[in-house]
Amino acid sequence: MNRQMEVLSVTKHFHPTKASFLAIKDVTFHVNEGQFICIVGPSGCGKSTLLKMIAGLEKPSSGEIRFEGNPVTSPHHKISMVFQSFALFPWRTVIENVEYGLELKKLHKKDRGKVARECLEIVGLSGYEKMYPKQLSGGMKQRVGIARALAVDPEVILMDEAFSAVDEFTAETLREEVSEIHMETKKTFILVTHNVAEAIELSDKIIVLSARPGSVKDIIDVELNRPRDKNHSGFIHIHKRLFSLLKEELESTIVRHKIKEIHEFHRLHNIE
Amino acid sequence: MSAKNVPENFGPGRLRGLNSYIWVLPLIMFFFAWEATVRLGMLSQSKIPLFSKVVSAFLLGLTSESFVFFVFQSFINLTFGILLAVLAALPLALFAGLKVKFDSAFTPAIMLVGALPDLALLPILVMWIGPGNVAAVTMAAVCAFFPLFFTLREGTKSIPEEFFHVSTVFRSGKIDMLHKMIFPAILPNMISGLRISFDFVWEVVLAIELIASVSGIGTFINSSIGSGSLESAFAGIMAIGIIALSVDRIVLATLESRIRRWQG
Repeated sequence: MNRQMEVLSVTKHFHPTKASFLAIKDVTFHVNEGQFICIVGPSGCGKSTLLKMIAGLEKPSSGEIRFEGNPVTSPHHKISMVFQSFALFPWRTVIENVEYGLELKKLHKKDRGKVARECLEIVGLSGYEKMYPKQLSGGMKQRVGIARALAVDPEVILMDEAFSAVDEFTAETLREEVSEIHMETKKTFILVTHNVAEAIELSDKIIVLSARPGSVKDIIDVELNRPRDKNHSGFIHIHKRLFSLLKEELESTIVRHKIKEIHEFHRLHNIE
Repeated sequence: MSAKNVPENFGPGRLRGLNSYIWVLPLIMFFFAWEATVRLGMLSQSKIPLFSKVVSAFLLGLTSESFVFFVFQSFINLTFGILLAVLAALPLALFAGLKVKFDSAFTPAIMLVGALPDLALLPILVMWIGPGNVAAVTMAAVCAFFPLFFTLREGTKSIPEEFFHVSTVFRSGKIDMLHKMIFPAILPNMISGLRISFDFVWEVVLAIELIASVSGIGTFINSSIGSGSLESAFAGIMAIGIIALSVDRIVLATLESRIRRWQG
């Protein structure tokens, strides 16, 4: 299998004010064509930043991200994205939202409509073309978001916490649908999440990031048959392993915070 | 899944048929009360003319060339002023809303000038430009600029960051980003900005015309009061009212009904 996407010792600094802030530190992994990859890590570990860099929305401070061998410096036409809070344009109807990417590609109006209708069919929203986002539930909005990402026929779909803004039941259905879309279309998916079970349910490979600054703590291959059963011993085994990895990270951050607080307290009260 | 159970007339604020003319009712009630109180002698006719007399003075005015010309002249001057203000405010507001550095550098200065009393600045403007319609248009533009600038800047600033990510990920160019994302997103602010500046320039129409030494409906009202013809003065006010109402109902309400379809 070829290495479609390569993340090569990527580091990201931010400079909000004077102090430089290290978000991502020396992250390296690769994604093969057609794989479903999850990036998990504790909140604030920079996993969304990492995804933005893959999308070409941010540039790495050092290191390189390569897509099909070429460095990604700006958004690539074969990479599209699904957003956490859906990010649908409220002034556009459902179908107009799905057509957005195609419009920018200057596709003919007729073809746009055809492609958009097909994509809405895939996500089960036929009949909702003329509605506005405000008329839809959260789950339906995210379906539109997925249809919009599919419409431009990408090779890679990036998902930033795509299931975390809807209720758990809706999220479960969405995950099943995305898994089906993945199996049918053979597109590559990269999902950022903090949900351990979600990662195991969906992915071929899980990149576990450490707490800030995010660096690769572990890479876990998930070789369970799909559709995946949460009660399967293999599932539970990986779940335990992932959970303890993340718990370690979380605890280390809490301890670090505590130590920082104690130092701060000492400094304020001039205690040596 | 089917869309059958969603009502066709979905969303608030959609009035149909007779209901969309409901705003006429309070106006009729007001005019009736006016006519009645003056007729019954509760208000002196030397201070307020009968509503019916104002209407006939207005209708008479419509047949007089000068009255129609005055109304037309004021309308043209103020409307051009507002258009100029949009042309100036829109790019500046976009810059201020999108570029933090530009915003923190220039917005305080714009805010300061906006806080100065417009009516005190206008005579200085006339001193520079010289009296005439150009000065009147410029003054209307100055008055309309600030409400437009601030509402448009606010609108631009409140565009969610993810919308920019969506545009960028789907490889939108700068021009597409403007007309497919930013303009539709700030349309509601454009409408309220236009509404505020429109109200404001008509409020100061007399001042503008006096300072610029041009004739228009403002000066017409002023001179009618001077010559003791109250009916004509009120007829002039009525003309302004009708213009304001028509612009509101025809231009702004049409735009508003477009955004109401999608606004949450």
